[in-house]
Amino acid sequence: MVAKGLRSISLFQIFNTLVLVCLAVATIYPILYITAVSLSDTSYVVRGEVTLIPKGFNFGAYKEVLMDNRIPRAYLNTIYYTTLGTFINLLMTAIAAYPLSRRTFFGRKFFMLAIVITMFLNPGIIPNYVIVQNLGLLDSVWALVLPNAIWTFELLILKSFYESMSGSLREAAVVDGASEYRILFNIVIPLSKPALASIGLFYFMGHWNSFFVPMIYLNDAAMYPLQVILRDMLIFNEGGNNPSLVDAAALAPQAMKNATIVLSMIPVLMIYPFAQKYFAKGVMLGSEKG
Amino acid sequence: MAHADTETVQASSRSSRGRIVSVFRHMRRDRQLLILFIPCLLFYAIFRYGPLYGMIIAFKDYSVFTGILGSDWVGLKHFEKFFASADFWLLFKNTLLLGSLTLVFGFPFPIILAILLNEVRVKWFKKSVQTISYLPAFLSVVIISSMIIDFLSPNQGIINQLLAALGFEKIYFLIEPEWFRPIYVLSDIWASVGYEAIIYMAAIAGISPSLYEAAKVDGAKRRHMIWSITIPSIMPTIIIMFILKTGSMIRVGYEKVLLLYNPMTYEVSDVFSTYVYRKGLLESNYSYAAAVGLFEALVAMTMLLSANFISKRMGGNGLW
Repeated sequence: MVAKGLRSISLFQIFNTLVLVCLAVATIYPILYITAVSLSDTSYVVRGEVTLIPKGFNFGAYKEVLMDNRIPRAYLNTIYYTTLGTFINLLMTAIAAYPLSRRTFFGRKFFMLAIVITMFLNPGIIPNYVIVQNLGLLDSVWALVLPNAIWTFELLILKSFYESMSGSLREAAVVDGASEYRILFNIVIPLSKPALASIGLFYFMGHWNSFFVPMIYLNDAAMYPLQVILRDMLIFNEGGNNPSLVDAAALAPQAMKNATIVLSMIPVLMIYPFAQKYFAKGVMLGSEKG
Repeated sequence: MAHADTETVQASSRSSRGRIVSVFRHMRRDRQLLILFIPCLLFYAIFRYGPLYGMIIAFKDYSVFTGILGSDWVGLKHFEKFFASADFWLLFKNTLLLGSLTLVFGFPFPIILAILLNEVRVKWFKKSVQTISYLPAFLSVVIISSMIIDFLSPNQGIINQLLAALGFEKIYFLIEPEWFRPIYVLSDIWASVGYEAIIYMAAIAGISPSLYEAAKVDGAKRRHMIWSITIPSIMPTIIIMFILKTGSMIRVGYEKVLLLYNPMTYEVSDVFSTYVYRKGLLESNYSYAAAVGLFEALVAMTMLLSANFISKRMGGNGLW
């Protein structure tokens, strides 16, 4: 029995396990390191003595971040943009997918073609910017929310989810004289919670982590979300020859910078364990459609 | 479906006036659905087709004051200027190189990871590694870039401390051009390998276990099964992913380039999108930048179509 057990652990299995352990460590180490630095005393950080465990443990950096006049406001901005944006995304997608999921919907083929085509035609940064500018949306939350109110990929995912739902409930509702609005809001959407959670996760991540869109559409620093502030803190490489870019990392106190990063990651890491199921499902659904 | 078919058959046999009547009847029948569809219609018209229309500014001298319609037509002026400039070949080379290096070096890793994970017999270990591996997909590009900068920092960065401990010279990674591409590609692999492996894991999960059992009866070893069962079975997925990646290859992750590059590395790091951003939004040369963007879009389209065509010609699956 013992001999058999040993024999079944082949050289390949050992090698495989080692590779995967290394990968896991390489993935998680930078995140642990950043957290350790954020909790360490600056003198240890500067001397490069922090590797995995905080040295001179303290919350000083977090206090500094909370006392800062930009970061707490940026945090609230991010929460606002993400909540409003995700809500609009989900509402728009949930409504739009419904007519498209109905086989006899007027002009269905034409609309589907017109929608799918946009996945392959990407006009790029400037035409998008010009449209937002011409609509007078610059420097408003709508510039962040409306131009990406529906992600075509997620729309197609939800549409096929609606299609896979049993039609009997809907038929029963039709017999009862229910309107399409009631069927959608009282039957279809409540039954689609798992799919909505899955695409909602992608929308949420998209808003929480976006930096380029707010950077180009917002000029008012008071409106900046966290990612734009983080970028300002971390990276100064635009424009002329900034001599300090030799060591951009030294510009802001390392601990404070990393404390901001950790704070920005907290909501994401909090939903992460719960999100796994939906996340993997969303990626797979997406790939089937792809 | 049958209902719709009879309707079309009836419609085509009738006069054109009858067809219009039937269209109106269909619209009236679906009026509630059509009302529900209005927001979606408006969204796609304004924010997806609007910018496509806005691309005409590439052939105009657009300014905010004259607007899209009111600006003067200038034909191919901006394109000529771009193709004649020294920037063109540099950007072309940088974009293609960065894109193809990411594709060539990055593409195999998620497949390898999925296959290795599939060979793990201990369930909790497999699940933990997989969960950890796609953690970076949840991190923003700003955070990932800041980690890169921290780790490569000449004074406090871990890499340089290691180099110093081993007796090597300090390396200024982010201002030395020859380091830009390796840094970009490696960090891209780090950030995307776990996420992309999910797709291949799903494909592997779809392989019938009976194939493996039959091979086992025939005395095949695990590594034989990987080559003769696992990889051929997920080949269609691999091909589709490859086509998609080729199509988007030219759209290198410009957000990360924007965060990691600086004038000292422009010669290797400046790509179409970052150039469009600088010329268009920082220097307000909207029309010129739109022309560059349009050229980029055309190249991307050509690459997607050719990848699809080649794949079909070789007897594989295409996207359509």
